Amino acid sequence: MISVSRNRSRRLLAAAVVGTFALSLAACGGGGDSGSGDSVVIGYTGPLSGGGAAYGENVKMGLEMAVDDLNADGVEIDGNPVTIELKSLDDKYAPSTAASNAQRLADQDEAPVVVSPNAGAIKAIQQINSGRSNFLVSAYTSDPAIVQADNPLTMMIPPNFESYAKPFTEQAMEHGGKKLALLGTQSEYGQQWTKAITDEWKASDGEVGADNSVDYATVSDFAGPVSKALAEKPDAMFVGGPSQPTALIMEEARKQGFERSFIVMDQAKLNEMATVTDIENLTKSVGVLPVDEYEDPGTEDFLTKFADKAGEDKVATSETALNYQGVAIIAKAMELAGSTDDPEKIRGSIGDALAEVDDKYKVTGFPTEITDQGHLLNQELEVAYLDEDEKYNKVPVEQVSDTK
Amino acid sequence: MTLFIQQLFNGLALGGVYCLAAIGLTLVFGVLRIPNLAHGALYMLGAYVTYFFLATLGVPYLAAIGIAALVLFVVGVGLERLVFHPLRNSPHTHHMIAAVGAMFFFQSLAQVIWGADFRRMDTPITGSLHILGAEISAQRIVIIITAVVVLALLTWFIKRSIHGQTIEAIEQDRTGAALVGINPSMVSMLTLGLSALLATIAAGLVSPINLLSPTMGDALNLKVFAIIILGGLGSLPGAIIGGFALAIAETMTSTYISSAVGEAVAFIVLVAVLAIRPTGLFTKAVQR
Repeated sequence: MISVSRNRSRRLLAAAVVGTFALSLAACGGGGDSGSGDSVVIGYTGPLSGGGAAYGENVKMGLEMAVDDLNADGVEIDGNPVTIELKSLDDKYAPSTAASNAQRLADQDEAPVVVSPNAGAIKAIQQINSGRSNFLVSAYTSDPAIVQADNPLTMMIPPNFESYAKPFTEQAMEHGGKKLALLGTQSEYGQQWTKAITDEWKASDGEVGADNSVDYATVSDFAGPVSKALAEKPDAMFVGGPSQPTALIMEEARKQGFERSFIVMDQAKLNEMATVTDIENLTKSVGVLPVDEYEDPGTEDFLTKFADKAGEDKVATSETALNYQGVAIIAKAMELAGSTDDPEKIRGSIGDALAEVDDKYKVTGFPTEITDQGHLLNQELEVAYLDEDEKYNKVPVEQVSDTK
Repeated sequence: MTLFIQQLFNGLALGGVYCLAAIGLTLVFGVLRIPNLAHGALYMLGAYVTYFFLATLGVPYLAAIGIAALVLFVVGVGLERLVFHPLRNSPHTHHMIAAVGAMFFFQSLAQVIWGADFRRMDTPITGSLHILGAEISAQRIVIIITAVVVLALLTWFIKRSIHGQTIEAIEQDRTGAALVGINPSMVSMLTLGLSALLATIAAGLVSPINLLSPTMGDALNLKVFAIIILGGLGSLPGAIIGGFALAIAETMTSTYISSAVGEAVAFIVLVAVLAIRPTGLFTKAVQR
């Protein structure tokens, strides 16, 4: 009995080994093709399973939309038409996996650019992207540490989050009052935000309560933390993590009788929050400007295409929109550099590319310049105050410097 | 004082959910002698199936929970037949690895079917009650009442009904029970099905005040293990008292000490129990 099953399992093992070999050979063949002249791979490593999967999928959606549109328009490099391919790998939000994914994309698929949407992962990738292998990292994070690293092959897409602290504080003090309760999330990024808001609030002579941060991902019932924060009788409340749990916290606060204003961290998007709770619960809050409130030349078409692809019940967020723009910038930079395999040349051409990108790819605060450290900047950055009539009021932002 | 009352009710509602989830786990441990690491995934799946009946098919809320609980009963039986039964004679580590595998399978399945996005389950139960100055939402009252009713029914089932008594018999002595004609295989299926059913009721009750996501079971999984270790592995009253005790400890420490301590309290309790009284409050399970 035992020997029979052992025999069978050996045969199975042999079949599995042969099968794996065949598959990997096929994969190598595919990879080799994509490196040869007429196509170029843009790599993406992000969380596609586990707790961060929704975020990773939103980013991927923007990349896919951009690749489809660019290929439909036709990309020409050095006189030759080139097809852009997107290759995505799952890193489950783990920086070490992200770094090995990036290495793999650069080595096996000869990707000149790898996109990553997570500060920790980007820091790990920055250790390997300008040494033995060379590739540009397209960084979707608002953590300024990414550009402070002085990595020559980095392009940081969103604004520095520290720029938001001042306008958020001003708006919340004007509409709420001087006393702030802290109910942010316990992620590393959430803690950076809590600190930035605390510093700014104190600098503006406000009073800050205890740090009531909770882990938005593991709390089963938000009523407890909300009751605790409200026991401080605050005039304003700092909240924010992923959009949906943030919306639930604000709804709970309104239910428990909180009537003042909210500061909503940039990770949460007001329009996305309105899909899980009544927008009435979200009023009197200051947050980042939702994508559908922008009036860039390509915004409307982008939103139509997004609705076609994602369905009516999803709303476009900056994760999708900014990465859509990001790929268009990279493609234009490749055209200007006349190269798909020299990341330094591509990085060097980004500045000039910004002026030449087609209007249809300008959807959400399209950048006008890139700093020496690789940060894309849009001088007309705005945030939004959602007033009692459920209208978004735009508030201009004075951006802070990236240097410490 | 108002804050205390408010948090007490929040703690009781959370305790009801923890209890329902923990009892299933402790029953499975008592009968099959395995820590079912896929329990949180069954809870998650239960929430999604409830969501499917409620939001997609338009079945009324409580009926949707009931139907989903029956569906998950079948899933639980299937899990026992396809995963744990074939491994019944292998070393214990195999069960654990298989359970982790099942957990990842269920998570991926949910992501494929319902997507990675958070989902919100709306219920017809809205409004809130004023009790001693505190504002308690009706949903939490429903959670507390349903949990008590289900726990009473379960106790009756295990103590009085013939099928339920077989569960207890197998827990006490597998060989002896088999000798008097109880089929251990049937009881194993019944127990796993029952544990998935209870987890689904818990998930269906808590979903309206939280969000659905394929990883929603992970946090609960850790906590229910802490609860059944606190209560004593395999002990029914242990799971009930452990569930409420842990939930109230969690809300109260979050309120009066800090949120960080509140999150950690389950694990502080876990370490303390293992160090001081490893058999738990209600000694029942004896490793055989």
